[in-house]
Amino acid sequence: MNRPEIQDVLYEAPGPKTRRRIRLFTILALLLLAGLLAAIVRQFAVTGQFQPKYWFFFARLTTWRFLGEGLVTTLGAALVGSALAFGMGFLLMRGKIRGNPVLRWLCTALIEFTRGVPTLLFIYFFFLIVPGTGWKLSAFWKITLPCAISACGVVAEALRSGVNAVPKGQREAALSLGYRETKLFYRIIFPQAIRFVIPSLIAELVIVLKDTTFASIVSCADLMQNAKVLISNYDALLSIYLVVAVIYILINYMLNRLSDRVARLLKGGGSAERRAA
Amino acid sequence: MAPTPMIELRQVNKHYGRLHVLQNISLTIGKGEVVVVIGPSGSGKSTLCRAINRLETIDSGEIFIEGQPLPQEGKPLAEMRSRIGMVFQSFNLFAHRTILDNVMMAPMDVKGISKAEARKEAMRLLERVGVADQAKKVPAQLSGGQQQRAAIARALAMHPDVMLFDEPTSALDPEMIGEVLSVMTELAREGMTMLVVTHEMNFARSVSDRVLFMEGGCILEDSPSEEFFLQPREERARAFIQSVQESRK
Amino acid sequence: MSISALLTQYGDRYLQALFATWRLTAFSFFGAVVIGIVITVLRVCPISPLRVFGNFYVQVFRNIPGAALLILLVYALPYLNIVFPYEICVLIATVLIPSAFCSEHLMSGMNTIHPGQIEAARALGMTFFQIIRRIVIPQALRSSVLPMTNLMVATMLTTSLGSQVPLRPQELTGIVSYINTRSAGGVTAFAISAALYCLTALFIGALGGWIDRKVRILR
Repeated sequence: MNRPEIQDVLYEAPGPKTRRRIRLFTILALLLLAGLLAAIVRQFAVTGQFQPKYWFFFARLTTWRFLGEGLVTTLGAALVGSALAFGMGFLLMRGKIRGNPVLRWLCTALIEFTRGVPTLLFIYFFFLIVPGTGWKLSAFWKITLPCAISACGVVAEALRSGVNAVPKGQREAALSLGYRETKLFYRIIFPQAIRFVIPSLIAELVIVLKDTTFASIVSCADLMQNAKVLISNYDALLSIYLVVAVIYILINYMLNRLSDRVARLLKGGGSAERRAA
Repeated sequence: MAPTPMIELRQVNKHYGRLHVLQNISLTIGKGEVVVVIGPSGSGKSTLCRAINRLETIDSGEIFIEGQPLPQEGKPLAEMRSRIGMVFQSFNLFAHRTILDNVMMAPMDVKGISKAEARKEAMRLLERVGVADQAKKVPAQLSGGQQQRAAIARALAMHPDVMLFDEPTSALDPEMIGEVLSVMTELAREGMTMLVVTHEMNFARSVSDRVLFMEGGCILEDSPSEEFFLQPREERARAFIQSVQESRK
Repeated sequence: MSISALLTQYGDRYLQALFATWRLTAFSFFGAVVIGIVITVLRVCPISPLRVFGNFYVQVFRNIPGAALLILLVYALPYLNIVFPYEICVLIATVLIPSAFCSEHLMSGMNTIHPGQIEAARALGMTFFQIIRRIVIPQALRSSVLPMTNLMVATMLTTSLGSQVPLRPQELTGIVSYINTRSAGGVTAFAISAALYCLTALFIGALGGWIDRKVRILR
C-alpha cells in the first residue's frame, strides 16, 4: 500500500567503492553549488545591488504595510476568483454530465474554450472591450472575472473526474433505496466526489493566484502593482521585484504543500476511496 | 574433502533498526538440494532469501556462492546475480513488455545472446511452464498463476545454478497455486538447487530434502523433511505446522 | 468590425502571430522537456546536494507567477549587467516554468513503476544503467504521455507572456491588443485569436490522446 518513492528503490544499498564515489561526488557538487552561489553574490556586489539605498526601506513598517495591502488584494482576488470558478465549473460539470444534448454540447464547448485560451486574452478582453459596452466594473473585478473564467473549465473537468471516481455501486445502492436523481447526486455522489478533488481545487487556487499578477494591466492595486509604486518611490527595482517574487513563491509553495497534505489525508481515511482504488 | 556447497552462510546478522531480523545465521545448501524455509511472518525467512543475492544487505557475516564470496557491488555482483534465479511473491514481470520479451530481455542484455537464440530458448521455456500460448500478451492480461509461471521461465532463461523462491504462491488465488507448484516440483526433480520460502506444507513434505523452521530471526530447526514432518524436534515448529494446516481447511 | 474586414486588413499579421505562437510553443516545450529530464535526473540521483538543488529548482519555477519571472528577466537582470533581447527573455520564462512541471510529471511517471520490477531486473543481473534504460525510462515515458500533452497546452498558454514585451512578429495575444489600440477590432479580434488558440489546443490534445492509446501500459 505505502510504496517507497522511486528515488529510494532506484539504487541498491551501496558497497564500499560506491560509497566512496558518492562521497567524492557529494563534495564536488557542494563545491559547484557554492561556486554558483558565489558567482551570483559577486554579480550583485559588482553592480552595487547590495548598497543600503536599495534595501533600507525593507526595515520600515510602512513598506511592509503597503506590500501587505497589495497582498490582501491579491489574495482576495484569488479567493473570490476561485470561488467564482468553482461555481461556474460546477454548473458546467452538471451541464456536461446531465442535461439535454444541446446543453451538454454547449458545456463541453465552453469547457474546452476556457481551457484552451490564455488568461491574458480574457484579461485584455475585460480591459479593452468591456468598458466600451457600458458595463462599469471596478479594477478588482476586471482582474478577478477573467481569472475566474479562465479557471472554470479546468475546475469543471476536475469535478467531473471526481464524480466519475465515485464507485458505481454507490449510485446503484441509492437507487435501490428509492433515491431520485437530483437528491442522489447532492446527497450521495457529490459529497464523495468533492473529497477526491479537494487537492486539485487547492492547486487551482495557485493557478488563479498566479494569474492575478497581471492585475496591473487593469490598474488593480495588487501586490505586483504596489511593488511598482514602491519601485518608483525608492528607485530600487531589483530588490523589490526579487522580494515580491519570493513572497509569491512562498505563498504558492505553502498552498501546494497544503494540497499534498490534504491529498494524503484523504487517501488515508475514507473507506469508499479505498474500495474504489 | 566435501564438495563445495552451492550456498553457504556464515554467522550472518542483520538489523532493521532495533529489530534483529537475522541472528547469527549459518547455513549450507549443497548442489541439487531442495530446501524449504517455513515460519511465521516476520520470522526473517524472506530476508534470508533476499540476502543471498544481496537484494538485502547484511550487517555482518559472510555469504558464499559456490565457494566465492558474494560481491558487494558493480559488475561482479550483477554477474553473480545472473547465476542465481529469483522468483518473487508479486511476480514482478516488466509491465511494459510482452511475456516473450520478459523472458528474452535479460539473456540478451546481460549475457549478450543473439535475438534469434534468445527467442528460441524463451519459447522453449514458456512451452515448458505451459504459457507459450500467452507469449504475445502483456503481463496484466494474464492470470496470477500464468504470470508466476512466466516469471519462473524468465529466471530459468539465465540458466541459473540455483533458484530462490520468495513466497511464490502467497499472492495467488487457491485454484492457481497448484499449477505453479507443479512447475516447481518438476524443476526439483530435474536436480535444480532450490531455496523455497513458502507456507505450502504439502510441497515441503513431498518435494523438499530439508526443512528450515525460522522464528524471530533464528533457524530453530533444520531437519530432513521426512523427519521434520513425522516428528518435529521443536515444540514451536509443531504448533506452527498445526496452525497452518488448520487455516487451510 | 466584421470578420472579413478584419481579416483583409490584418489576415497576414494573424497568420504570422499564429506561427509565432506555434514556434514559441514548440521551442519552449522542447527546452522544457530537455531541462525537465536533467532536473529529474538530479532529483533522483544519489548525490544529496544535487537532489536538494533539483527540488529547489522545481519549487521555485513551479510557484513563481509567469509575470513576475518575466519582469525579473526583462527589467531586473539588466541591473546585474545581464541583458537579453526580449525574445530570449520570453523564451527563458516559457522554458523554465514548464520545465518544473515537466519534472513533476516525470517523477510521477516513474512512481507508477512497481519497485518489484526494479528488484527483479537486479536479480536477473542487469546493471544500474541497463535497468534505467530498459525498465525505468520506457515505462516512465509511456505513462507520461497524457501529462506531457497537458504540459504542451499549458506551455502554449504560457507563451501569451510574449504579449507583455514588444515582440516581432507578435504572438496571438499581443496582436489582439495591437489591433484594438489601432482600430476597434472589437470582439471579433478576440474571437479569431481565441479560436486559433483553441484549435491548437484541441489538435495537441487529440494527438496526445492518440499516442497514449498506442503506448499505454496495461496494469
